[in-house]
Formats: sequence, structure tokens, C-alpha cells
Amino acid sequence: MSTSTLNRRGFLALTGAAGIGIGLGLVGCTPSSPAGSLSGTSMAILPSTAPSSWNAVLAQANKALQKEHGFNLNAQFINWQNYGQQALLKFTAGAKFDTALQALWLNMAQLQQSHSLADLTDEINKWPNLKKQLSDELIDANKWSGKLWGIPQVNSAARLQHFSIRKDLADKLGFSDIQDYDTLEKYLYDVKQKESGVTPFGVAANQTFELVLGTPSGLFNQRSWENPTEAYVAQFAGSGLWFVFDEKAAESGTVKLVPLWEDEGVLGAFAKIRQYYKDGIINADGLNAENATIQSQFTAGKYAGQWAMTDGTASNALVALRKAVPNADLEEVLPYGGAITSVKPLQTFQADNLVVVNANGGDVHRALALQDWLSIEKNHDLVEYGIEGKDWEATSDGGIKQLSDYSFPGYGLLWRSGLERKSSFMTESEKKVFAWAQDYGNFTKSAYASFIPDVTPVKQAAAQMNNVMTQYANPLYYGVVDVDSQLDKLKRAADAAGVSSLQAEMEKQANAYLKAQKK
Amino acid sequence: MQRSAAVAAPKRRKPTSRGTVGLLLLALPGVLWFLIFAYGPMAGLVVAFKDFNISQGIFGSAWNGLDNFKYFLASGDAPRIVLNTVFLNTLFLGASLLAGLLLALMLNEIRGHFYRRFMQSTIFFPYFVSPIIIAIILQVILSGVGGRGGLVNNLLSVVDLPQVNWYTEPGAWPWILTFVKVWQLGGYTSVIFLAAITSIPEEVYEAASIDGASRARMALSVTTPLLLPTMGILIVLGIGRIFFGDFATIYAIVGDNGTLFPTTDVIDTYVFRSLRTIGDFGTTAAIGLFQSVVGFVFVTAAVLVQRRVDRESSIL
Amino acid sequence: MSTTITGRTQTITDLEAGAVLEERPRRKRRRRSPETGRPIGKRAEPFTIISYICVTLFGLFCLIPLWMIIAGSFTDETQLAKTGYSLWPAPFSTTAYQMLFTGGALATSYTASLFITIVGTALSLSCTASLAWVIARRLPRISRPLTIFAYIPMLFTGGLVPLYLLVTQVLSLNNSWFAVILPVMLAPFLIFVAVSFFRQLPEEILDSARIDGAGELRIFFQIVIPLSKPILAVLGLFYAVTYWNEWFMALLFISDPSLYPLQLTLQNLIANVTNAASLPGATAAQAAAPIYQLRFAMTVLTIAPILLAYPFAQRFFVKGLTLGATKG
Repeated sequence: MSTSTLNRRGFLALTGAAGIGIGLGLVGCTPSSPAGSLSGTSMAILPSTAPSSWNAVLAQANKALQKEHGFNLNAQFINWQNYGQQALLKFTAGAKFDTALQALWLNMAQLQQSHSLADLTDEINKWPNLKKQLSDELIDANKWSGKLWGIPQVNSAARLQHFSIRKDLADKLGFSDIQDYDTLEKYLYDVKQKESGVTPFGVAANQTFELVLGTPSGLFNQRSWENPTEAYVAQFAGSGLWFVFDEKAAESGTVKLVPLWEDEGVLGAFAKIRQYYKDGIINADGLNAENATIQSQFTAGKYAGQWAMTDGTASNALVALRKAVPNADLEEVLPYGGAITSVKPLQTFQADNLVVVNANGGDVHRALALQDWLSIEKNHDLVEYGIEGKDWEATSDGGIKQLSDYSFPGYGLLWRSGLERKSSFMTESEKKVFAWAQDYGNFTKSAYASFIPDVTPVKQAAAQMNNVMTQYANPLYYGVVDVDSQLDKLKRAADAAGVSSLQAEMEKQANAYLKAQKK
Repeated sequence: MQRSAAVAAPKRRKPTSRGTVGLLLLALPGVLWFLIFAYGPMAGLVVAFKDFNISQGIFGSAWNGLDNFKYFLASGDAPRIVLNTVFLNTLFLGASLLAGLLLALMLNEIRGHFYRRFMQSTIFFPYFVSPIIIAIILQVILSGVGGRGGLVNNLLSVVDLPQVNWYTEPGAWPWILTFVKVWQLGGYTSVIFLAAITSIPEEVYEAASIDGASRARMALSVTTPLLLPTMGILIVLGIGRIFFGDFATIYAIVGDNGTLFPTTDVIDTYVFRSLRTIGDFGTTAAIGLFQSVVGFVFVTAAVLVQRRVDRESSIL
Repeated sequence: MSTTITGRTQTITDLEAGAVLEERPRRKRRRRSPETGRPIGKRAEPFTIISYICVTLFGLFCLIPLWMIIAGSFTDETQLAKTGYSLWPAPFSTTAYQMLFTGGALATSYTASLFITIVGTALSLSCTASLAWVIARRLPRISRPLTIFAYIPMLFTGGLVPLYLLVTQVLSLNNSWFAVILPVMLAPFLIFVAVSFFRQLPEEILDSARIDGAGELRIFFQIVIPLSKPILAVLGLFYAVTYWNEWFMALLFISDPSLYPLQLTLQNLIANVTNAASLPGATAAQAAAPIYQLRFAMTVLTIAPILLAYPFAQRFFVKGLTLGATKG
């Protein structure tokens, strides 16, 4: 087995380190882990690439890790384009690794059903540092039928998609603080009229359904912004067919759901998008434009607004944007109709990304020991941000100032909302929104909070439906064709592909879920 | 009066038994490679008939007969997808072979040494441009930045023709894609033909030229017939792959743009999209097997036809 | 195939000598055809002129995108983002190249790629040529089954998972450059192209060698191979390019970044930059990466070696190799 070679390497690193000294302040808390001899290397499968000074950071981390727990950390990086397929391949082929990044939008459901993931429900409580960093609400929200299959990776409580707009243009055109949808629309039209060469809003090909629905709001779905506690949406993973659930009905225990093309708010969004397309408010090549391309064009000053998420990264665009437009500024707009503190939008608190443990080739004990070790601030900062003083330095408000281009995919291994540092150039607007998004109390928990539809009974119908949605719904999301005729085609194709069976199955599972919650 | 090139049918001498052993040894490394790296993994094709479960692995999963095939074959989309695949592949094959042949013939006419080499390099390089870059350049040409423009549309407006939103018009795309394929493969194919042309003895051209043939006539009546065996091989090999869509290029250009699917969706892109998140290994293998079997039937037919037409140059 | 020509019998040595010579341009002497009276010789003919024009046009058709790519790789991202392309690199910027060249172990990547390409091409070429010859030879009861045997893998494949299991678990080739070389070592397509070429070699030459007492292996190595320089050059070129561009096998089997071949390093860089901006935890550095420019620069880095290798291979496209094929 290959771990014996790595053990030797780890030992050599340790003897080498002994001469260098331990005065790096890494001997943190004494690990109060359950007794057990750990050894070998904990291999983590991560997306993206290794950061520039990864070897130095890894050596330093392993010094402490070896001393405190007796094993090493190693990571295999797979680029994003191929991550999903390669991660699945490694699980399938029984490769030896401890943890990997997984998600519903990758293959987590399939892996869980085939017993490839370790059950972590009772494990978290055994590790105090880890337990401290993961709130109960977070754990509860991410349990599937009462069991926890992965450690949720979030840096905020709520994840709300919204508009990131050019504050400098808004100020110039007389829009100070946009709080409702109509004003936002007016801003977009004003930009189109008065700023030549700037397209008001940039949409990218990967956004699709996000433009019309979400929990609680779809980007151009005005009704969902004005009623942010009304709609919960869910799909069978991979089908592309989103059902809009009536949240009010669920509170009284009844399941009421419709396919997206029957929801009033979504239909309104389709009409708006079509109008925006015809009026040139959105770019006409949205269907084909890669997200990176739109980003690149946004930072070159070509768009007055783009999609953003409340994960603290919207201001990252500002650095490059300022090179092209020196006085540029960004504002985060959530058009609920009033200040964001005046509403409590619906949330499920489900994490988009989770760290799963390999059941068939990984060591659960060792994996969780690593997770616990990484939940300590010093260790967390080392691995996520690099070597302090060289790669980053702390700012007075607990934030971070980057000194090098060290960039680690933290959401694949060690995100803890309590430990994540805010970047030093976050705009005021984003700071406000991000802080608001941290508190669970600011949001309404959905009745369907930990409902995860199981696609196995309708696997083939879901795959068929994916094709229907890609072919007939995508044009609707981007406004390139007339709404009514396209809706007809979509409905007919969906019927032929078995939407009724999917709907029936979804209703059945939702009913079972609500009943189980009642008990 | 033309002196015809009498084709001698050479009698192939059978080798001695010692010679045969020598030849078998020659073939051995190749055969070993095929056994290990081609036929070994083929055992995994059984998963097409199984309900694949990751924990149980390929050989531990339960059999489920032809269920995996039902997904694609029973879906209403199958006829259209298959038709698109075959139609597009035929277009691509025909166009690239024709382009390769013409380019080889014409390059053969070029006397300037340096110019000829330069041209050969130039037309060869498009083969190595990744499909993503091709997609980007195509977008620039057809739709411009922001989707409202593009070089083609600008040209159209210059001659007072209405502009077309190319990325929402499925009808034009088989031809656009063929165009792209010719750009990609013209040079590549011509290299193969050129290698064959260089083995044509110069005396043949001299003889034809003494007979008063123009260069055009020589290209048509001398060079082309001598390239037919090569052409035959390329056609037969292409026919075998006729059910395998050109995934890389088509997916990079069309992506998830549903409006173009009626004419550009092929088996491989369809399967890729459907199984992207569901990740059902059994169904993917089943469809791959289906494509292979159909391709095999087609190629057998093609080889039999070729044997009837020109036994000497047949592959088998 | 051979033609009846008032020829001379050639010995093997003559052929070898002839094979080295390239066609020398001859002095123009206007000869006239005895039959039609039309002048023969190298005079510009309509077809030749058309050929020049068409080839030039097609060359432009290929060259313009190439120029766009090269120019784009030197143009600043802000300009590229606005127009999507660039025909002249202004404003000039080498940001993308800097990112690519300083982005870590490019030197080790080049080493890896060189090893894989050279060793791989050598292996592929030798196995392809030998297997193709045995098929082309039309041996009874051997060649036909071999043909089918070599063809089937072109259609039937077991897929990714069995290959992965074979290479990692059965052969234990993880983190070895041979894991990149071996799975793609033989391409049935190229084997059959070689077969087609070999079958066109004049039988007379081989026969006369046999009469002289040469054994099968000697014929292969001393006659067939020298005569096959064009096709070997083509095969070598195609294989070399495949190995140079191969990144997927490396992605599957190599996890140690210091062993990554060039293409994989570049692919990783591009894929991550392209996707990073939209992912959580993206840093400002990633959001500011010049994506358009990077992709063009990467294409240039990929194509450049090939454009350099191709003229080298062209030297083998030599005429007159089968000078004076004989038939008395």
C-alpha cells in the first residue's frame, strides 16, 4: 500500500523540521480527540489547483499535524472543468483517499445511495473543535432523512442571489439606494438610454433557471422579490425541472407544487426577460456566453450589473474594474421593497458544498481528526490563507489583506463561518449584506428545510427531462424566443417526457417528508 | 492515342516458414498492446447490461438485461438524434475528404519550394486549435460581443441583406459546422494524400505529359486514380465511426443552446447532457455499445462493397 | 501498382541513392509533344494558376484565425473583452504569457512532455509500422484476422472506468509517464493508413530482393522502411502531436504536479481561471485574470512546437523514392 511510502516521507519531514524549531506558534490547543492511533496520510480530493506556495504551507501544516495526531495531510487537485467526472471516477474505482468535495450539483446523491459515503451523524459530537464551529442549525439543515453525509461548507448562514450593480453609474443617473424592483428596472433602462457602450446587465450561460426562480427569489422574478417568504423550489437532481412549492400550504402540512411554467412569478419573469432581450437590456448572447467571459467583460466596464451571491466575493471584481474605470464602485441590490433588515427571506440553510468522507477507502477517524484540527483558528488560517506575513496579514477588524496570490479552494476542505476572514476591499454595501447574511435569525426557515428529493425511482425520466429543459427552457431563460409559442413547445415536450410521473413522485416524497417532520 | 498504364497484378510470394516466424515476431509487440490496453478494458462492457452500483463495482453489480438501452432507444428523441449524427458525420466526412484531396492535388502543382512548404504548414495547423478557441472565434464572427453584431452580419448589412441571429437559427448550422470541419481537417487530410502522391513515380507524369495531357488532366486521370486506395481506406474508416458524433467540436460550439439542437444534437452530446449529473455508468456504456455495434455493421457492409469494387485495394 | 515504362532494372543500391535525392529543378527546354504539338514542360497552365489561387485562399482562411489568436495573446484583456478579438495587439500586454510562464513548474512540464513525446513516438512508430507491415503482407491465415483484431478497438471501447482500474490497480502505473504513453500508444486509424501505403509499394522491388536471398525481416528493415519515409514521417508527426497534446491521460493517472506534462498544466490553469471567478472563495487575483488572453496564449504555446516540427517532417516528403519501378 502506498501509505507506507508516505509515512516514511512524513517521518523525514519531521526529523528535518526538528532542526528548524517549533517556534511558529502552531502548537495550539491540545487535541482532545478520542483515543486511537492514527497514521498514514489523509488524502483530500480538491478542485482547482495547488496554490503557489503550497509545498511550504503543507510542510508547515504537517509538522504540527504529525506531532499532534500522528498523520499527514496531502491533497490532490483536479481542475474544475473535470472535477465532477474525476471525483466520481475515483469513488467508482475505489481509490484510496479520505475526503472529497461533493455536492448535490455534483454526484453526492448518487454516491450516498450507493453507500460510498461515510455516515457522519454521530461523529461530529466526538470532536470538540469541530463541533464548536458548526452550529446546530447548520447541521440540522444539512441532514438527509436524519443522517449527516458530509460536513457543510458555508461562510454565511443564508445564500441569496442578487444584483451587483455599478454604484458609480447609479449615482451618476440619480439612483441613490435601490430597494425595490421597479426602481432597479428603471435604473437598467436609464443606463441603456444614457450610457452608450454599456449594456445594463450581463447574463451568462451557466445561470439558466437562477434568472427566474430560487429559494426565495429568482433574479428577474419580481413577484418573488416582493414576496420573499412564498416560494420554495426543488428539483430531482439532474432533471433541470424545478417545482415551485407553496410555502404557506406547507406550513399547514399540505403539499402544493407546480412545475415552473405554471408559476405566476416565473411566467412574469419570462415576459420580463423577453422584453429585456428585445430592448437590449441584457446581452443577446447569454445562451452561449461563458461565465468567465461575462465576468471579464464586466471588469472591463461593459456591463452595469451582473449576478452575485452573498458569499463575500462580489467585491473581488472591483480590483480589475478599477483598472478600466478608475472611479468605479459596486453596490449589492436585493430589491425586497425596503431595507434588507425589514424582511426575513425564506431559506433552507442547505450548503451548496460539502466535504464527504470516503466509506470504501478512507479512514473516518483520521478524516475527522483532520477536520477538527482545521477548525482551530491558527491551523485554519495557515491552510486557507497561507503563511502569515508572507501570503497574508490580518487587518484590524479580523479581516485579511492578501500579500501574495495564494488561493486555496477552502470550500473543499475547511470552510467555517466563524473563521472565514473578510477580504480587505469589500465594499460598504457588500459588508452590510454579508454581515446580515451571517445570522440565522434574520431568515425564515422553510418547512422543507432538509428535504432532499431522491431521484432513484425516476432516474430515467429525470435524465429525459434534462434534455427537454435544456432544449426548450433555456431559450426562455434568456429571452431569445417568443414566450407563448416556446411555452407551448416546452409543455408538449415535457408531457411526452413524463412530467406527470416526476410531479407525482415529488408530491409523494414531499408528503412523506412533511409527515415525518410533524412527528 | 494514350498509352494506358497497364496495372500489373503482382503475384505475392508466400514467405518461408522461417520468414513467417520473423513476421509474427514483428507483429508481437502490437498484438500484446492490443490485448492489454484495448481488449482488456473491453471486459468492462458488461456493465451495459447491469444496474451499476458504485460499491459493488462492475463485476458485482446486478444484471438488468436491456434496461439501460431502453433509456435512449425508447425516448422520442432517438430518431432525430440518430439522423443528426449520421447526417452530420456524412457531411463532415465527405467535405473533409474532398477538401483534403483537392488541397493535395493543388499543393502538388505548386512549384515554389518555400511557398509550398509554408502553405502546407499553414493549412495543417487548424487541426491543433482546441475546440474552445474555435467556438470563441466563431462567436466573434457570427455574433460579436454581446450577441448583436459579428463580422458576417456586418457584411450582410453592407450589401443590404437582413442580419441574422445565427445562434438561434438551427437551419444554417449543419453547413456552418461543415465549414468549421473543413477548416479543421482539410490540411490534416491533405497530408495523408500528399504522402501517397510522393510515392507516385515522376515517370508517370512525364509519360502523361508526353501524351499531351494538361496539368488538370494529369491531376484528374493520373493522380486521382492512384489516390483511390487511400481514399477508400479513409472512407471505410470514416463509415465505421458514423454513429459516433464529434462531441468535442459540437459541444464546444453549441453547448447548452437549446435552440440549435434540432439540427446539431448528436448521440454523444445528448447522452452527455442527460447523464451529466445522474452519472449512470451503465446507461453510458449501453449507448456506447449501441454505437459500436451499429458502426460495426456499417463497416462490414462497406468493406464487402469495397471488395467487390476493387479487390486489390480492399482493406481485408 | 506499376506502369510499363521503358525502364531499366535497378539494383537496390541505386534505389537507395535515388531516395536521398530530392527532385532537382530542371532547366527549361521547350519540348513539344509529338502528338499534339503543344509545348510541354513547366509552363504556367490554367490549372496551376487556379491551384495557386485556391491554395492561397485556403491558406488565408487558415492564417487569419491564426493571426487573430497570436495577436489576441498579446492584447490587453480590457480590449479583448470589449471586441472579442484583436487583429493588432494594441494595447500590448504580455500578462497572459507572464502568468503562464511563472505559474509554477513550466520547466518540469516541458521535460515531462518531451519525454512522453519522444519515447511515445518511438514506441508508437515502431509498433505501428511492424504491425501494419504484417497486415499489408497479406499472409494467409494471419493478416486477415490481424486486420479485424486491430480494427475492433476502433469501434468498441470499455470506457473510462475499466481503463482506470487496469492502469492503476492491475499495472500500478500511477504517477508514471508511461501511464500517459501506453493507453494511447497505437491508433488503429494510423495503422490502416500505413497498411494502405505499404500495399502500394511495388512488388517488384520486394521480389528482386527475395531473389537475392533476403529474408522477410531483412526486407522489412532494409527495403521497406527506407522506402516508406513519407508515411513514416506522417505517422511520426501525427503521433508526436498526439503525445504533445495529451492531457487527459495525465489528468487521470498523474497526481504529482511535478510530473504534469505541459498540456495538463496549461489546461488546469485555464480551467481554473475560467471557473474560479464564479466560485465561492474566489480571490481578487483570480477575478482579475485575463481569461480571453490566457486562452489565446495557451493556444499559441500549444501550436508553436507543432508549426516548428511540421517543416522538419516535410523533408521526408521526398519524390522519386520508387524511381524506375521495374517491369521488364
